[in-house]
Amino acid sequence: MILALVVLLPTLAGFALIAAAPDRRGELALAAGFILGATLALAVAAILTGDTLLIVWGSGIELAGRLTPLSAIMLILPPLVALPVVVRGALTEEGPGLPRMVGLLLVFVGGMELVVIADDLVTLLVGWEVIGAASWALVAHRWRDPDAVTSGIWAFVVTRTGDLGLFLALMATVAATGSTRLNALGELTGMPLLLVSAGLLVSAAAKAAQAPFSPWLFRAMDGPTPVSALLHSATLVAAGAYLVLRAGPMLGDGFGAGAMAVGATTAVAGGIVALLNLHAKRLLAGSTSAHLGLMFVAAGAGYPGVALAHLVTHAAMKSALFIEAGTAHELRGTYALDRLAIGRAVPVLTWMTLLPTLALAGIPPLGAAWSKEKIAGAAHDASTLATIAVVVGGALSAAYAMRFYVAVFSPGPDVDPGRIPSRAVLILPSAFLAVVTLALSVLWIPAVPNTIADRLGVALPPGSLGLFAASIAAIAAGAVLGIVIARRRADLGRNDTAAALGDWLGLPWLLENAVARPAVALARVLARIDDVLVDRGVHLGAALSRTIAHVLARIDDTVVDRGVRLVAALSRWLANAGDRFGEWATDSLPRLTAYLVGAAGGGVRRTQTGLSHHYFAILVAGLAVAVAVLSYGA
Amino acid sequence: MLTLAILVPFVGALVLVTAPGLRATTSRALAVATAAVPLALLCFAWSRFSLGGTDFQLVEEMAWVPALGVAWRVGVDGVSLALSLMTGVLFVATIAWPMEQRERERQYYAWFLFLEAASLGLFLTLDLLVFYVFFDLSLVGMFFLIGRWGHGERQAAALKFFIYTFVGSLAILLAIIVLVLRTDPMTFDMRVLIAQQPLAGAGPVATLVFLGFVMGFAIKAPLFPVHTWLPPAHVNAPGPASAILAGVLLKMGTYGMVRMPLQMMRETFAAYALPLAVVALASILWGAFVALGQTSIKRRIAYTSVNHMGYAVLGIAAAGALVAGEEHARQLALTGAVVEMVAHGLITGTLFLLAGSIWARADTYEMDRFGGLAGVAPKLTAATVVAAFASLGLPGLAGFVAEVQIFIGAFAVFPWVAAVGLVGILITAALFLTMLLQVFFGERPVERNAFADVGRVEGAVLLAILALVVVIGVYPAWLLDLVNAATDSAVVGTATVAPGG
Repeated sequence: MILALVVLLPTLAGFALIAAAPDRRGELALAAGFILGATLALAVAAILTGDTLLIVWGSGIELAGRLTPLSAIMLILPPLVALPVVVRGALTEEGPGLPRMVGLLLVFVGGMELVVIADDLVTLLVGWEVIGAASWALVAHRWRDPDAVTSGIWAFVVTRTGDLGLFLALMATVAATGSTRLNALGELTGMPLLLVSAGLLVSAAAKAAQAPFSPWLFRAMDGPTPVSALLHSATLVAAGAYLVLRAGPMLGDGFGAGAMAVGATTAVAGGIVALLNLHAKRLLAGSTSAHLGLMFVAAGAGYPGVALAHLVTHAAMKSALFIEAGTAHELRGTYALDRLAIGRAVPVLTWMTLLPTLALAGIPPLGAAWSKEKIAGAAHDASTLATIAVVVGGALSAAYAMRFYVAVFSPGPDVDPGRIPSRAVLILPSAFLAVVTLALSVLWIPAVPNTIADRLGVALPPGSLGLFAASIAAIAAGAVLGIVIARRRADLGRNDTAAALGDWLGLPWLLENAVARPAVALARVLARIDDVLVDRGVHLGAALSRTIAHVLARIDDTVVDRGVRLVAALSRWLANAGDRFGEWATDSLPRLTAYLVGAAGGGVRRTQTGLSHHYFAILVAGLAVAVAVLSYGA
Repeated sequence: MLTLAILVPFVGALVLVTAPGLRATTSRALAVATAAVPLALLCFAWSRFSLGGTDFQLVEEMAWVPALGVAWRVGVDGVSLALSLMTGVLFVATIAWPMEQRERERQYYAWFLFLEAASLGLFLTLDLLVFYVFFDLSLVGMFFLIGRWGHGERQAAALKFFIYTFVGSLAILLAIIVLVLRTDPMTFDMRVLIAQQPLAGAGPVATLVFLGFVMGFAIKAPLFPVHTWLPPAHVNAPGPASAILAGVLLKMGTYGMVRMPLQMMRETFAAYALPLAVVALASILWGAFVALGQTSIKRRIAYTSVNHMGYAVLGIAAAGALVAGEEHARQLALTGAVVEMVAHGLITGTLFLLAGSIWARADTYEMDRFGGLAGVAPKLTAATVVAAFASLGLPGLAGFVAEVQIFIGAFAVFPWVAAVGLVGILITAALFLTMLLQVFFGERPVERNAFADVGRVEGAVLLAILALVVVIGVYPAWLLDLVNAATDSAVVGTATVAPGG
């Protein structure tokens, strides 16, 4: 029951908030903060009580919810990150439709919690699609701008392409095992296992903006900053990584290898894309894809605990950085890195943001650095290629983190004081996330992660000093590169090859021109065919029947009618003939009769001889005939 | 009781026709009240329906032509009860919905009540001949609603609709006659026909009868490639008539497919289940793609019906395939198909009502003549967004419950057909979202600045239907249990026929 409330409270309260639409920001922020706080408390209560959920839909379909040790940690994350992000958004985002945005963010949190507690594939699919739809509505929040709505459509349609994988996995799992439970994944073998692995990998990759689905996340940056900070860095995309670490251990090596391949590719490609981007939010979005790629590598290598650790550390630092990108945008009205420079305007923020920046760069002793080094160790355990990808990805991460920080927080010109939000709004949410980022540094104390790993029942990869040294060296080199770019080539990615590469290596162009446009063109052609050919078939049928009717009518006019006339003529001829023959016949018959009667009379007269022996002879002959006739009859 | 549910709207129609002095508002009030009676009666019937009971319950029977085995027989199983309840809801909603062109109101509402009587009669009757009569009466009712209260090329559209589906109904009539002639003593009683399976082992005759049924019902459903009567009929029909056409009349095709070929000719059906599934797949994909290619709101929604009925028929085909050991999956597919019929009735009915509202305010369906309506008509926008997401199968709304069952069930029987059919889900997402963008979001043309939001009555109707869509989507157990009561025996019955026997 408590577990159900963790989902229901933010969902229903979100819709209620949209319906109530409070006018005052303060009320809205307070309500959202209260609901998220309550959700957080419920989540903790659900974990402590070990609550489960079972809703019987019928037809053998049940919605089941259960927490594993890993998902318990994941349950805390959405309301925890949402709390500062949503409250800040309620206080600072532009006016129109603000209650709708805040309400939808709460609904999203509910959907996300459903994904986390899901213990069967139907429940997972329900949550999975609900957060996708929430993403559509939130990216398209500024609905008067057709580009924003189009970006929302991209977000939904591309991630739904991945959802088809989840559908496929559900169908194949039920067909093979008769169950929808996640535990049933462990019983799969052969073809069903292949289908389910591929389906789940595709859906996770699409949600986590892994290659080749990544571009939707860029377009999702058209949404308001709180949406980017919560959905498109900390939670919704993280659902992809969560699926890999939740289902991966049951699916075996094939799935793991696939996840590592996808993750390693994206870790490097996303890093390059992020570094080459001039748009502050897109830089962070590319980075998000890359870091989720790192989580895919860890989970694929068989260390779901490490993937989860990075998921948590990443959520804290990345949502903080998104908030600062939003602040910079509020102050300067642009996301172009070479025009932000808000360091002098907000000195406190400059210092506080250093923490999440260094965390993103992977510099010890911050928690994100620990989890990233553990991912390197996990990759080292499984594949050399993946290890190289993690190290290179780490260097790139350091590079774009430094480019972002230096560009955004260099002193810069004065800012119109009217644009600077109140200190509390500016500082409190960022301070909260900075403190969390700093607190996660305890992971470097070996006893802490070891204890947690024992509790969760997960393994940690063995460390390797050589790998650690290589990794740190790569980070240092990357950091230097990032600072150099920020100082010397501040406009990198504006109008050059870098810009072209920075737009996800041309993938959006490819998706647009190789998938979206052809699909729409095909639809148009099919619609024409439907109007012209398929319907023409019917028209042809109708025309054919009309033609047949005409032909029949002609036949009716000519043949049948002529037949009638023929008959008439025939009867006329018959009548004429009958006339002549009849005259003759009717005349002749009586004459013949009269003649015959006359002749017979003459014959009879001749028998009247008067001689009695003649009479006797005739009598005897008559009798003989009579006897003969009678005896024949007998 | 069920007889009364058919009789009341019929009498109501007669009263409206024969009362010339009736004012428009009175006619409407009378029609709504009359339409509510069968809904109440059906709800009562539902409360009396026993889930564990016999297949057909609440049977009423009255001899009519004993020599031919024709009788007035009504009764319900889970499938027909669910469909007639949905029909009852939709008729109340569409009759309450404001007319687009206020003329000859009395006759308009009379035809609606007539159509309700015919539709309920079709779902409730247990006699094949009576079924056929109601099947044709429904054509008559819709013919006049489109032809007299439609717009644009309404006469041509009405005629095309009538002739096309009438050809289908003739095929059905022939099939019915051949089927019934094989019974001894001759009877049109559906229960006897289901029990006797009169054409089992009848070879080519059975195939021809099966084809007759499938052809007729495929036209009505409609399936690709015999669907082209649908778009013109929808485009030119008034919104409420469109809602009934999509919501109720199309279901007659899929319901007939379940009742006749699937239940009365199990063996023949099993032999042709795969080709039927392929036709369903073609409808799913064709309907989705062609809908995406449309520029008119109403044509786009109309083609999604082809797509959705494709899902339903895919479920029916999977249910009828004789695959040993997959009884559960086949039942799941059939339940999904029936839930799809109910969900599609409510969802697409709503979408057509909304399209009717847009026409009533703007006199056009062309999407590029709209934009940014969210600013002037937030309620209309919200309702359309919910209905569109329901139609594209978002979880938490009714369509998902249906589709997930159909796909799970169908995959166990025809894995590749079901897997390819998934693409339909993606295309419908794209086509609805782009429609929402073009009509409700983005820049608003100046001519739409005075576009009025939905009124009180429209709002109440939308709220009621969409609430039902949400309830089915979130907690469908009550509906699934009802439908399962029927699909269980339909599928288990299939299993008891030995393959090839």
